[in-house]
Amino acid sequence: MLFAIVSILVLAGTFLALALHRFWTTREEARSTLLYAEIAKMYFAWLALRGLQMSRRASPRAWWSSVRGLPIWREPVLEKWLDICFYGSFLYLAASGFFFGLFIPRGLFGFPLVGHVMAGGLFAVCLTIIVLFKGRDFVTVPKPASLSLSLLDPRKMGLTPARVKLWAFWLFVLAGLLLIVSALLPMMPFLQTPGQKLMFELHRYSALLAAVAAMVFAGLELFGSPA
Amino acid sequence: MSPAGRTSLRAVGGALLAVLVLAAAAPGQPPEPAPAGPQKQSVWDGHRSIPVHILPLRDENGELIVPTEAYPLPYSARQTCGPCHDYETIRGGWHFNAPTAAPSVRPGEPWLEVDPKTGTVLPLSHRKWPGTFDPEAAGLTAWDFTLLFGRHLPGGGPAEPSEEEAWAHPGARWNVSGKAEVNCLACHNRSGRQDHSEWAKQVLRENLRWAATAAGGLGEVGGMASRLKETWSVHDGPNPDDHEWAVVPEIAYRAAAFDSKHRYFFDLTGKPADDRCLDCHSVSPKDAARWSAEADVHAAAGLRCSDCHRNGLDHLMVRGYEGEAAETGNRTAESFTCRGCHLGETAAGKKTVLPGRLGAPYPRHKGIPLVHFKRLSCTVCHSGPKPAEGFTRVRTSRANRLGVYGAAAWATDAPAIIEPVFKKDERHKITPQRLVWPAFWGRVKGKDIVPVRPADVLAAAGEVLGPEDRIAQVLIGLTQVTAEDEMPVLVSGGFTFAPNVDLGLDAAPREGPDPRAPASWGIRKGDGIVALVPDFDPAAEDKDPAVETRLQEFLEALGTVPGRPGQPAILVRKTLYRIVDGFLDVSEAPADLAGSPGPGWLVEGRLAPLASDFDIRTVTDKAGTERTLTEEQVAAVLGSLNRARPDGDHVYISGGRLFRLGRNGTLTARKSDAADPVTWPLAHNVRPAQQSLGWGGCKDCHSGGSDFFFGRIRGAGPLLTDAAAERSAAAFMGLGGIFQRFFGLSFIPRPLLKAVLAVCAFVIGALLVVAGLAALGRVAGFLEKR
Repeated sequence: MLFAIVSILVLAGTFLALALHRFWTTREEARSTLLYAEIAKMYFAWLALRGLQMSRRASPRAWWSSVRGLPIWREPVLEKWLDICFYGSFLYLAASGFFFGLFIPRGLFGFPLVGHVMAGGLFAVCLTIIVLFKGRDFVTVPKPASLSLSLLDPRKMGLTPARVKLWAFWLFVLAGLLLIVSALLPMMPFLQTPGQKLMFELHRYSALLAAVAAMVFAGLELFGSPA
Repeated sequence: MSPAGRTSLRAVGGALLAVLVLAAAAPGQPPEPAPAGPQKQSVWDGHRSIPVHILPLRDENGELIVPTEAYPLPYSARQTCGPCHDYETIRGGWHFNAPTAAPSVRPGEPWLEVDPKTGTVLPLSHRKWPGTFDPEAAGLTAWDFTLLFGRHLPGGGPAEPSEEEAWAHPGARWNVSGKAEVNCLACHNRSGRQDHSEWAKQVLRENLRWAATAAGGLGEVGGMASRLKETWSVHDGPNPDDHEWAVVPEIAYRAAAFDSKHRYFFDLTGKPADDRCLDCHSVSPKDAARWSAEADVHAAAGLRCSDCHRNGLDHLMVRGYEGEAAETGNRTAESFTCRGCHLGETAAGKKTVLPGRLGAPYPRHKGIPLVHFKRLSCTVCHSGPKPAEGFTRVRTSRANRLGVYGAAAWATDAPAIIEPVFKKDERHKITPQRLVWPAFWGRVKGKDIVPVRPADVLAAAGEVLGPEDRIAQVLIGLTQVTAEDEMPVLVSGGFTFAPNVDLGLDAAPREGPDPRAPASWGIRKGDGIVALVPDFDPAAEDKDPAVETRLQEFLEALGTVPGRPGQPAILVRKTLYRIVDGFLDVSEAPADLAGSPGPGWLVEGRLAPLASDFDIRTVTDKAGTERTLTEEQVAAVLGSLNRARPDGDHVYISGGRLFRLGRNGTLTARKSDAADPVTWPLAHNVRPAQQSLGWGGCKDCHSGGSDFFFGRIRGAGPLLTDAAAERSAAAFMGLGGIFQRFFGLSFIPRPLLKAVLAVCAFVIGALLVVAGLAALGRVAGFLEKR
């Protein structure tokens, strides 16, 4: 129950934060006032309108054309299949895991569970290849930090969307590692029942972390401001 | 006056007033003294040993028993034990309260009424457990129930009905037999003289009020109440005119066990020894050697049954299942479940129970995924025979009448009980269970099927259910004239049929002759069998006279067979041998005499065979099996029942199927809830950890062909049929067999998956560490300095 509440709050919060970011960076009215209440009112009005517009436009054909428009299809064959496997397995893992975790009291079972295990293996392999061969694209070169109170000033931390995206990537990798470890260890004859319980919880919260990181990364990648 | 002084005055005045009021209210006679004698022990004084029980024995009237007096009555637990231990409270205990207690959610072993002749295996329970019939609804009075199952009842309950119930059924003989009171000694007697077999025999003899005395070894009980007239009462005493047949039950107490004050020494224990429990609760694999039977791991560790299955004076035993505490309100029961004792957890998984009672170890369960603890009871992996060895046919004390020894063999193979069948229990957890397939004759009443009593079936069936008896009677008749090393037999269908000591028929496979050869009667001597009537020429001059002497003996013996359809005769070629006026009559067979040569019965001008084709066909079909009915017999009996009571359709249930007569009179089989097997959870024997499921890895259960999921159970029952139901183990669990097979197969590549995941985790982890260290070095400025 706790996991369900935390998950719903965190996922909803991430979604709203990403939407706010987009509202803030694309809408002029966002800066028309200093009153937070007014900003919030405009934000939610925009969100509702946007949601309505998108739902009216949504159709299988529109979805399909959006999918066909993704850059993935224009990549070289190896990368294309790597990405298909990676995104596909992750989407299935997230969908099956969260659906059963949040809405089915019994949890994941049956054929969806078998699919989850198989997709998990595929995801682990794809993630490893991506980190190994593409991780370098997400490495930043931070400047040496100086000891000053400015370290605590958010405005001077350089929290740009690009950096957040990089952090989201590495956070996703970390969550992926935790997911793999928490799936692997319970299968080995090492952990007693408390350890198994710990791994079960770790797996679920790692999945939540991975989902949030993926949302942030994808949100900024797909809807990021041109600036 | 000081306040203290005023208070004292008020107190004295008050006391004086009270005395005056009481004196005025008294009716003028002295107050009754407090009742003498022991007080009931309802509260423990803290002393940990039990007192020596040297007690005056009292009979059911409360009179002191003097063992040397003429015709002493049996001791009464109510009157002897009751003064200290409240009898009515004890009577409400688990072992005695079945007829009156509220239904219990957790099923236990039902009573199984087994009657091989009518093919009845009827599950009965007062506790209204699924699949069982209430004894009363099944037509059993408390008297019937006591006679059927009293052998394994500890007294009380149905064996001690209320006066109202005792008088309600005229067929009952409670006034002759007395009631079987709660038999305290059955559990608490530490003496080696406690004899369960004696109890069973006394119950069978209807010596109910004497049974506890005889079984407890207090004395020797002779006589049989079952042979006494229904007008006899214990107050009538012995019958001086009959010392042979209708002998009144009488006790000869062991006088040496009494002291000079006529007090008897009871060697008792508060916590019953396991042997006492096992008298009624033994379960062992059928046909297993005694030395190979394993003990429960708890017993091997030195625990007794009563260490966990505890109770107070109310005798409401802790049964030890999860959920018992919530069901009964006895919170202490939570710490006597597997989880409570070993993990300190309640049924809901809360760590609020004191674990480790009696040194219970904490299980490590390394590598066992959590879902197993959610979906399975502990007993799945730890109790009963390993499913890796397939389903095990077991015999239980109560169902198969174990533990009763004497000249006759009491133990039976029927009913067929198998374990472990994994099935969801009342908490929707998969639990190992014992299973029995019901078999009974019934009458359709709306949507229900009401069992027909075996006696009514027998009455309606006429001769249909007696082929074995008739053939056995013929063979037993012939044994009168055979030598000690000879045995008359019937040879048919590759089997040899010979009579047994119970006046039944035993079948033994016989190699050699063509099983399709016609049935024949013979004499077995050693390994060989010779024809009962040798082929010879009666008209020959040099025939052996001993042959005809032998034929005369056979004819005389056959003339004693009860229920014979006609005069015995033997046809050899065209010569007819029979007994006329006590002499062998040899005559030419009438030209119109129909029938085959050999022995037979002269019936209406024809020579009928000693056993009809139906009889021979029936016994031959069933030979070598445990079945006691053929489809032909069932069809015939159903027809008879329908004719006897045309107001309702009759059915027979066996092997998981319901059989009824179709419109054209043929037998049809179909599914029915009434034919579903009856199951009840098992908890013992608990195996050691190394023998538990999962010790050998996931593939103990999760493989493409594991017995745990894919073992198949075929409906067992008295009916010889191909239409019996068949189910997979997974079906009992409510799980999909296809999925479990697929899931099981997924364990083949699982080691590869583990290796891949391990490599992935290592590579990603290493890269994360490297990237993290590099970033840290940058932030710290270490890398710039290089």
